[in-house]
Parts: sequence; structure tokens; C-alpha cells
Amino acid sequence: MSPPDLSAELVTLLPRLRRFARALTRNPHDADDLVQVALERALARAHQLRPDAALAAWVFGILQHAWIDELRTRTRRERLFAPEESGSHVGDSGQGTQVELLSVQDAMGRLPQEQRLAVALVLIEGFSYKEAAHLMDVPIGTLTSRLARAREALQTMLGES
Amino acid sequence: MTFSDETIMAYVDRELDDATRAALEVAIATDADLAERVARERRLRARLHSKFDPVLTEPIPERLLAAAQGTVAKERTDNIIGLKRIPAGHWSWRQWSAVAASLVLGVLIAPLLRHQPSEGALGLRDGEVLASGALDRALSKQLASTQDANSPVHVGISFLARNGGYCRAFLLRDKSAVAGLACREGESWRLQVLAATDLGTSGSGEYQLAASSLPPAIEQSVNALIVGDPLDAKGEAAARGKDWRP
Repeated sequence: MSPPDLSAELVTLLPRLRRFARALTRNPHDADDLVQVALERALARAHQLRPDAALAAWVFGILQHAWIDELRTRTRRERLFAPEESGSHVGDSGQGTQVELLSVQDAMGRLPQEQRLAVALVLIEGFSYKEAAHLMDVPIGTLTSRLARAREALQTMLGES
Repeated sequence: MTFSDETIMAYVDRELDDATRAALEVAIATDADLAERVARERRLRARLHSKFDPVLTEPIPERLLAAAQGTVAKERTDNIIGLKRIPAGHWSWRQWSAVAASLVLGVLIAPLLRHQPSEGALGLRDGEVLASGALDRALSKQLASTQDANSPVHVGISFLARNGGYCRAFLLRDKSAVAGLACREGESWRLQVLAATDLGTSGSGEYQLAASSLPPAIEQSVNALIVGDPLDAKGEAAARGKDWRP
């Protein structure tokens, strides 16, 4: 795909890429940083994209790897993920709807990273099990068990019995 | 017939085969508990979407649009260096190279140097970056009001700074361009900031370097330093007449 064509496709995908990154990282600025890294990597690797490949899945895969890289870097810095991500936004707002919305993000932030990724890919971005399993490089059974555990954990954290 | 949680999840994820889906839908119609198990999964999906879908309609930041086009937004800090931060003291060639690399000076200034083989545009003295060669001459002699459009240095606004000295914005141009701000100190022009820019590479021949069109890093420096208004043509000529002494 020529660079101008790829750029046009990337612009079209931008809203979804931002939503995906927001589901993974919580902090909107970090999320956009992640999107930016993914865009740069996608353009740098345009030659790897086969004409028949699913462009969206390819770019989401790049973003996912950029996120995993970022998490590894953070872990190396010994900034543990869970404590940093839990509760930092509590009390930001007194509005009822936002309290609920924040708790959704808090709950997402407390999921183990592979469960959060499964939720973001399937429940939020609407990838099929097959596509998501391929992106995560795991068998479909592993994906569905991660989804099942993630759903139970989210239901509990969100107050659904 | 009983349905596992996995089946119900696959159902709301639209992953069930047709036969199982049909059987489940029949059962949902008559089994309130089963219907509630399905509804619970749907509520979770709905809550996730109500949280994250608004991102889809947010305005997209300029920097992401630029990244998708393969262009780097001008405010990216890696193209900008504040020269005040350069440590004082003698610079080794290695340090100078490192700064040059971070500034892309090697790329940007090299073509200029090729046109002026005996002198560079920038020099170092006591850890400060000073204009030299063609740049020094242009800052000292060239007037924005009368300059030659083909000059390798384009002088922009000139103004009196808070410390009482004169400062001038400039653009060094070749295939690519670097914009900067230099202030007069004694007999030299000391560089305050340099920024890679696409100003002057449009090929139009009209180089706008008014304060409003300066790269953000340069504009910030100007705003931090300027007292009053930029010099007009008469003020610029008068300042040159005094050899830029306040």
C-alpha cells in the first residue's frame, strides 16, 4: 500500500485507535501517546503490509504491541502497574454518571493486562474471537477463558451480582 | 436444556453457530433466569461502550493527524533546543556533535556550509553558541525591509529585549530550514533558541517571518524577551546605524 493510501486509512481508523488505547491505558494523554507510536510504526512498516491483509487488525496489532512494550518498560522501572492504576481518579467528580463511568475505567485498570486486552479487542472494538486470538497470538480457547474471567471480575467490581 | 456461561458470552459476542443460537433464543423466551443471565452480559457491554464510545466523537488532536500523515507536528520538542540549557564551559567536538545531531544542524547547516566553505553559521565560545560567518554578517547588516529574497539568511522581526539589548529572529534556509532567535551581546549575536521548521521551504519565494508565523519555540522566546513592539523599518535601520548597541 502506498504511503498516501495508508495515511488516509490510518486517519479513518484514528477514532477507533484512540478508543482502544483509552480502554487499555486509562490516562487520555498516555493513550494518545500510544496511538502516536502506533501510527509512526505503521507508516515505518508499510512495506510489511500485504495487499490482502486486514488493515485494521494489522494496525490494532501494532498498537497492542506498543502498549505491551510500554508496560515492560514501566515494569523495568519498577513502577508497579496495579498500584499506579488503581484509584487515582477517585473523587474527581461528584456527578453521578461520571462516578459510574470512572468506576468502569477503574475496573478495567485492575484487570490483568491480558484480560484487559481481550475485553478491549472483543467487547469494545468488536473483533471476532478468531481475529482477537490471532492478534493476541493465543488459541481461541485461551482467549475465551480470559474473556470469561475478565467479565466475572468486571461484573463483581461494577457491583453486578 | 441448560446453557453454560461460555455459551451465553459467545451469544452476546455473536460467536454462536446458528443452531445453538436458535436453541438459546427459544429458551430465553421462556426462561426468565436465562434471560437475566443474557441481560447481565449485555449490560456489561453497554457500560463499557458508554464509557469508551464517546472517544469516537472527540476532536482528534492535531499531533495524531500529523503522525498519520507521516509528518511531525512542529511543536514536537525533539526539533527544538533551548540554547540557554547548554552547559557552560568548553565543548569538546563530541559534545558539539551531539548537540548538532539533536538539532539536525548537521543536516540543515551542512548545505549552507557548502555554499560558504570557509565559515560556518554558528560558532562556540565559552559554552555559548554564537552566530558566525554568513549568519553573523546578516544579523549585523541585513535589514528585513530591504533584504534580498535569495539570501541564505532571512532576517525576521527585530526587537528590544528586557535586558535592553537587541534581538533578531532569523531563518537559515536551504532544502530545509532552521529558524532561530539571536540577541546581541557585545560584538556577538548569541543564539537563544533554534528550531527546525518548514517555514521557507514552501517554494513560494515569499518568506513570512512575522511574529505570528514563527515556529512556536521561537515565538515563545520572543514573547518572553520582547519589550514593546517589534522594530519597524525605521527603527531597524536606526539600530543597525548604532551597530546594535542599545
